[in-house]
Amino acid sequence: MAKQPLSRIELLQGTLDFIILQTLRWGPRHGYGIAQMIRANTGDTLQVDTGSLYPALHRLEKKKWIAAAWELSENKQRVRVYRLTSAGRKQLAVERTRWEQLTGAIAGVMRQPVPEAES
Amino acid sequence: MIRSFFFWRRRRDARDLELDDEIRAHFAMAVADRMARGESPEDAAAAARREFGNVGHVREVTRESWGAAGLWLERLDQDLRFTARSLRRSPGVAAAAIITLAVGIGATTAMFTIMNGVLLRPLPFAAPDRLYIASYNPPPGPFSRIPGLYDRHFIAVDAKNDLFDGFATFWSNPATVRGVGDPVKLSDGFGTGDFFDLLGVAAEIGSTFHHGAGDDDHVVVLSDRLWRDRFHADPRVLGHVLEIDDVARTIIGVMPPSFQFPHEAELWTPATVHRDEHRMMTQLALGRLRPGMTEGQARARWAALTGHLDMPPGLDRSALVAQLIPLKEVVVGDVRSSLILFGGAVAFVLLIACANVANLLLMRVAVRDREMAVRAALGAGRVRLVRQLLTEAFAIAAVATALGIGLAYAAVRGLVTLAPNQTLPRVESIRLDLRVLAFAIGLAAMTTVVCGLAPALHATELRLRAALAAGARTVAGGRARLRSTLVVAEIALALVLLVGAGLLIRSLQRLTSVDLGFQTADRLVATVDLPANRYTTAEQMRDYHTRVAAALARIPGVDAVGSINWRPLGVALTAGDFTIEGGPKLPPDYMADKLNVSPGYFRAAGMHVLRGRPFDNTDRAGSPGAVIISESVARKFWPAGDAVGKRISFSDKPTARDWFTIVGVVNDVVQQDISSPRDAAIYQPLAQSQVAGWLTRGSYLVHRVAPAASVAPAMREAIRSIDPSLPVEQVFELRDAIGWTIQAPRFAARLLASFSLLALGLALIGIYGVLAYSVAQRAHEIGVRMALGATPGVVAGMILRRTLMLAVPGLAIGVAAAAALTRVLANFLFHVQPTDPATFASVTGLFAVVALGAAYLPARRAARVDPLSALRSD
Repeated sequence: MAKQPLSRIELLQGTLDFIILQTLRWGPRHGYGIAQMIRANTGDTLQVDTGSLYPALHRLEKKKWIAAAWELSENKQRVRVYRLTSAGRKQLAVERTRWEQLTGAIAGVMRQPVPEAES
Repeated sequence: MIRSFFFWRRRRDARDLELDDEIRAHFAMAVADRMARGESPEDAAAAARREFGNVGHVREVTRESWGAAGLWLERLDQDLRFTARSLRRSPGVAAAAIITLAVGIGATTAMFTIMNGVLLRPLPFAAPDRLYIASYNPPPGPFSRIPGLYDRHFIAVDAKNDLFDGFATFWSNPATVRGVGDPVKLSDGFGTGDFFDLLGVAAEIGSTFHHGAGDDDHVVVLSDRLWRDRFHADPRVLGHVLEIDDVARTIIGVMPPSFQFPHEAELWTPATVHRDEHRMMTQLALGRLRPGMTEGQARARWAALTGHLDMPPGLDRSALVAQLIPLKEVVVGDVRSSLILFGGAVAFVLLIACANVANLLLMRVAVRDREMAVRAALGAGRVRLVRQLLTEAFAIAAVATALGIGLAYAAVRGLVTLAPNQTLPRVESIRLDLRVLAFAIGLAAMTTVVCGLAPALHATELRLRAALAAGARTVAGGRARLRSTLVVAEIALALVLLVGAGLLIRSLQRLTSVDLGFQTADRLVATVDLPANRYTTAEQMRDYHTRVAAALARIPGVDAVGSINWRPLGVALTAGDFTIEGGPKLPPDYMADKLNVSPGYFRAAGMHVLRGRPFDNTDRAGSPGAVIISESVARKFWPAGDAVGKRISFSDKPTARDWFTIVGVVNDVVQQDISSPRDAAIYQPLAQSQVAGWLTRGSYLVHRVAPAASVAPAMREAIRSIDPSLPVEQVFELRDAIGWTIQAPRFAARLLASFSLLALGLALIGIYGVLAYSVAQRAHEIGVRMALGATPGVVAGMILRRTLMLAVPGLAIGVAAAAALTRVLANFLFHVQPTDPATFASVTGLFAVVALGAAYLPARRAARVDPLSALRSD
């Protein structure tokens, strides 16, 4: 095994939801497609465990942030395709704000302390 | 509720299928991608599977994300489906468990249905718990076993009392009814004016009679049954006139079918209680407590009130007891103890059934050890596993209860039909009602816990122990011990029931082998009741009886005919004291039955004249009074054997013509209840009887030498030829009359015997199950032993030893328990001690033999184990 996927590092609570919503912004996708896309977009760093992905998808669907429908894939496979709802879009904006605040805060913590300026 | 559950089920199912599809698609796409990258199909599938992880887990956690609301039901649903699957895998075990439990629950529910109807349901009257039987009579003794009031006391209380709001007396007598079809004898319920109002029951059609009605009101109220049988339920029946004991009465109403009080009455007529200085009979008096009065207050008032009543001549106040008894107690008091006894017996059967089912489930747990371990390893919590096992027990109990209720329905009908006539009161109120259903559901819950919890806790606790590195053998050992304990308990319970049934059967044998003192074989009896308005004098009645006897004697195939003013083995016998000429005074309580018989009676009855002579045609009206005494009277007062020729009188202060000469001595006979000792009796010739009241009832006893089928109709014909206007009376075999007197004990013995056979059968199944299982489990060990030289005999002996290890403690405990418990049977036994050693010994011996019989098949299977295949199979 060449590289230990980072998903083994627990994603922060709610992060996976955010990632899924974000992924779906580019268009409807089935579960496998979402997993593949997350993987590709993170350069194989994040491998989403199916045991986390499907519960999350169904949870988001229940919250009506995403909607699902059965469609035929390009190779005639019957697949369940998820797409972002308008509620999901709003939620994504909220999540993004929160994410930015969070990353900003963490970045702040990580930054070298600036010497205190004399007034 | 049920609908929504199924609706939810359907939705859930669809969702499950969709999830499966989704997962399958994901998997297929992963494999396709990998193959596109050049992997071989096998590698691709393996890698995809590895990447995907545990499908079951994914499914489980995804389902959980569907929400917590359905989770509990979801799990129950899973458990149930799992149960259905696993029971379907072993249909034999499931069927055995369900049938066993259904029989137990069915029998228990049937018994409860009867107890509920007879003992628990309120009487079908208005506010029945305010109804009391008022009694002021001698305490229970030879004369009075039932509560009652003397006529004069009833009149006094009815006129003025401050505790009852309505007061009535009632009784029933057979009456001849004419005016609709053939003349017929029906039970006429007499009630004083308040009778119906007091019970608060209105007529279904027309009206009842009310306060103030009495002898002068020539009306009649019909029972629903009579109305349907004789009037084809014609509503225009009101106003129709019936002739009842020669009084023309107008029909004023029909009662609803639920009204059956007194029990046997088919019609009701109003009556008045008259003050009669000589009448010393008491009868039931019914009162409704005034509103607001408590039972305690009423008792105190009743005691005070009766203290002021004037006493009938010759009675002392100290001889009477004042009582207020709830009506229901009087109606059902007699059968309560029997019903409770049967209920207890049936509870034993149910316990044994539960033990069997628990054993079956334990066996399945043993087989499923690996499955349990795997499920536990996969993360099923202990609670979940216990729940799974309880769900199994519940599924079995639920199906068994549904079947059991069906069985109970059939059993109740059977029991009510088989129950001796007139001994089970309130039959009409016996039915499956909500309380019975609730009881059955309660039984289901109880059996679920009893059958399921023990194996469930046991199984999971053992797994924990196994986890703590205890060896597999101790685990199996623990379970075997529990299973053996259950079987030992079953044996003990079944033995208690068998001993009880054995005692009742022995008692019944003693009853039927009682030497009555007269012959019952080939004896036919015909009875008549002479209506008081057409047969008024003793002379007319004597003439009738003599002519009937003569007509009967002319029938071909009749060897001897005797008349008696009493129905052999019937009820209501005349008994009293007498005076001995110049002799000792009788002891204060001494009484002899007083009977009038024709000259042929002793020969017809097969009785023995021990000294002197039987009556003959010289004992006529007008000739010197003659009596024949029974052996015990002779022995008591003339121990020297010189009774014949002495004189006695039925009068306290005899005049010259009151004396009767003793002309003979006959053997003592049982006159009424065959469980009571033979009575002392004094017989008078019918021809000399002067008391008209003693001659209204007549029985003709015929010793036949031809088949009953030809003699009985000829007897009817002969009787009708003397007075065609009398309703046709019964003609019956004397032997059948014995059957009637022992109906109740025979029914009790049969019922308890059925229950105990059921218990025995279940216990045998339990023994068989444990042994068969242990043989199957130890096939390997047995194979090794046989390979090492054990003969089939030694192996069979091993199984037999195991049987004894179950049977001996079971029987020992059972004998001890029976010895402690059969005391409750004391009142049901005739000439048998509750601890009768012969019964205990024979029942225990029988049980031991059949227990070894149950071991036969497993032992034979063990002896036939093929060492080679047993060793190879592992």
